[in-house]
Amino acid sequence: MQEKVVVTGLGIISAIGLSTDETVKSLLSGVSGVGRISHLDTIHTEIPCAEVQMSDDELRKSLLISADEVITRTSLLGIAAVKEAMRYASLNPDRKLRIGFISGTTVGGMEKSEAYYTDFISNDNHKEYIDAHDCGACTEKIADYFNCFGYVSTISTACSSAANAIILGSELIKNDILDVVVAGGTECLTKFHLNGFNTLMILDSRPCRPFDDSRAGLNLGEGAGYLVLESASVARQRKAEVICTVSGYGNACDAYHQTASSPEGKGAVLAITEALAMASLDPCQVDYINAHGTGTGNNDMSEAQALVTVFGDKLPPFSSTKPFTGHTTSAAGGIESVISILALRHGFLPNNLNFETPMKDLPVVPLTAVNSKVSLKHVLSNSFGFGGNNSTIIFSRQ
Amino acid sequence: MSVYITGIGKISVQPSGQSGSAPQYFETRYARCSDPAFSDYINPMEARRMSTIIKRAIVSTQMALGEAGIEMPGAVITGTGLGCIEDTEKFLTSMINDNEKFLKPTYFIHSTHNTISSQVAIRLKCNGYNNTFVHRGISFELALHDAMLLFMQKKVHSALVGGHDEMTPAYFNLLDRIGYWKKEIVSSSSLHTSNSAGSVAGEGSISLVLSDEKSPSAYARITDVSTFYNGNGTTDPSERIEAFLSLNGLKPSDIDLVMTGINGDVNDNNVYYQVLEKTFKNNPAGWYKHLSLEYFTSPAFGLQASAQCLKSGNIPEHLRLKGNFNGKPEHILLYNHFKNRNHSLILLSSC
Repeated sequence: MQEKVVVTGLGIISAIGLSTDETVKSLLSGVSGVGRISHLDTIHTEIPCAEVQMSDDELRKSLLISADEVITRTSLLGIAAVKEAMRYASLNPDRKLRIGFISGTTVGGMEKSEAYYTDFISNDNHKEYIDAHDCGACTEKIADYFNCFGYVSTISTACSSAANAIILGSELIKNDILDVVVAGGTECLTKFHLNGFNTLMILDSRPCRPFDDSRAGLNLGEGAGYLVLESASVARQRKAEVICTVSGYGNACDAYHQTASSPEGKGAVLAITEALAMASLDPCQVDYINAHGTGTGNNDMSEAQALVTVFGDKLPPFSSTKPFTGHTTSAAGGIESVISILALRHGFLPNNLNFETPMKDLPVVPLTAVNSKVSLKHVLSNSFGFGGNNSTIIFSRQ
Repeated sequence: MSVYITGIGKISVQPSGQSGSAPQYFETRYARCSDPAFSDYINPMEARRMSTIIKRAIVSTQMALGEAGIEMPGAVITGTGLGCIEDTEKFLTSMINDNEKFLKPTYFIHSTHNTISSQVAIRLKCNGYNNTFVHRGISFELALHDAMLLFMQKKVHSALVGGHDEMTPAYFNLLDRIGYWKKEIVSSSSLHTSNSAGSVAGEGSISLVLSDEKSPSAYARITDVSTFYNGNGTTDPSERIEAFLSLNGLKPSDIDLVMTGINGDVNDNNVYYQVLEKTFKNNPAGWYKHLSLEYFTSPAFGLQASAQCLKSGNIPEHLRLKGNFNGKPEHILLYNHFKNRNHSLILLSSC
């Protein structure tokens, strides 16, 4: 007997809003969060990024976390989104429920480590942040804020981390190991990531243009996105409103190159196909695809090729919402799952901002204008990471 | 459901090469792996571009696959507390020293935690399920549990699961600053009776091949894996352990050996001793961290040592902590915790 996994809560914080409501508003009105860097201390201020419009101090204040508490921005963003997700699901921490927390992150506490590293290696100033550096520590900081999780786990598969967290959460529920799982990811902007992506020469100096022939790279973003997952029976028992089901997912490895996707998008095809099979869906039943669509030459061509391979000439409406949020790396799978579910719930198709000219070699055309009066049943979200960690999740309305 | 360990690859602080040789104890605060000749496994041209942890992961993977007699696992899953910390430090240091200028991409490319699983998959051309767990002292157990879930769903017939961590001198110093390691030098053979805080730093790279079929090379059967979080310190590990055993149709008295993660830190040790006193008063108990030393994925060393015991039908003297046991062990329970916050249980049975 396998339990059906349902979504009962959503939480999101990104450059386009501090809540689901604000996110929907920005998506419907076409307001991008990509702009000039204002919070990150870096010399590369000319590179456009999508920062959450709150300083650490403001985040601490809004979450009632004292100024001397040892906590990193990654955890602060995570707490903000988890808090919304739990409230959305009317989830009152209850000892009788087996509740887990699974978070995807890659930079972890790097934002403080890069600021204090010289001290770390030479003196005891800021030594309390040494133990906040690793990814697991960031997850526990979030978990401890809520003090209700009897299970914690951290996944790091680069830009598909949060998607894999949601997949694991679903598996733990299906196998009756946990009743409720809050799963997603969080990542703050760091000099480490900004400089790293910059050395790879895949940061666009202008707002990113996924699937456009003129695309020249991605814009980094930051934020967090989490879902409250639970078994259908637990949701029924506690009379929680079900938003949608997690109907299918797939995880595969491109196994091609550490930072490049295979030209044919092999791993992507495998992940999407596996998700469709699990959901028992024909490709033509998918109503919307939230593409990974980073805006790099390589990703978008490889992903488009994979989409054409799976969906043929019946490619469903699709868009990348990264021109809105920036590429939030490990959080992307969480943020974009939330966006996909908001589209499903509110009946709209988010558009692919900044798209003008189809790619010469593969002229697929994403949604160029937001469509706000549609009825969607099945939405699919792609998340692909460095190293070929490709994951796909399908959410369906009951 | 039965999942068998059919291949083991091990690189640890213990002397490399033939197993069964006398264990080495340490009188040091920090030891690095005794690496095999990487050139026996990896083309030197390729090896030059790889960081130490990637080389170790690839070699231990090859050892495990070779022993299991398979070429292509159904999944590649890694547990690593710190990931590719050597390359992370290199990129971070040059970024700070050169004020974000003149940076090269190589170290960044190899700095992400999932580089290990990715490099292994790329080398094997394995398009199957791929995942990486990065949660402190339970990273390896979470990876192992993930593999168990795949077997439960019958999504794979085999899986490669690794526990990999390197302890760079810089990270040793950082963790030393916050009390992870003992200040005084003690023999690792006496860590179980230590009265001071801190452990002794080590590192390691352990790969396991798991299979749903019992092969001639099989060591042991993994019956169940579980982790729990005790962030607020209110959970009694004994209660959770007894519930875990009962879920698997066992009583504490059925366990032939409780393999503990005793690591020399007096606070950590006490948690184990309390559980042994409360739940396993009459059971033989063992330990292994005096041989592996302490690092985030050290429980992987404990698992391979326990699997060896079940295969050979014998618990060697150097793994024994208390109690007499002369028969052939059937069930071993591995119990580990990290700072009494993250706890893990692995139930291992003879084939």
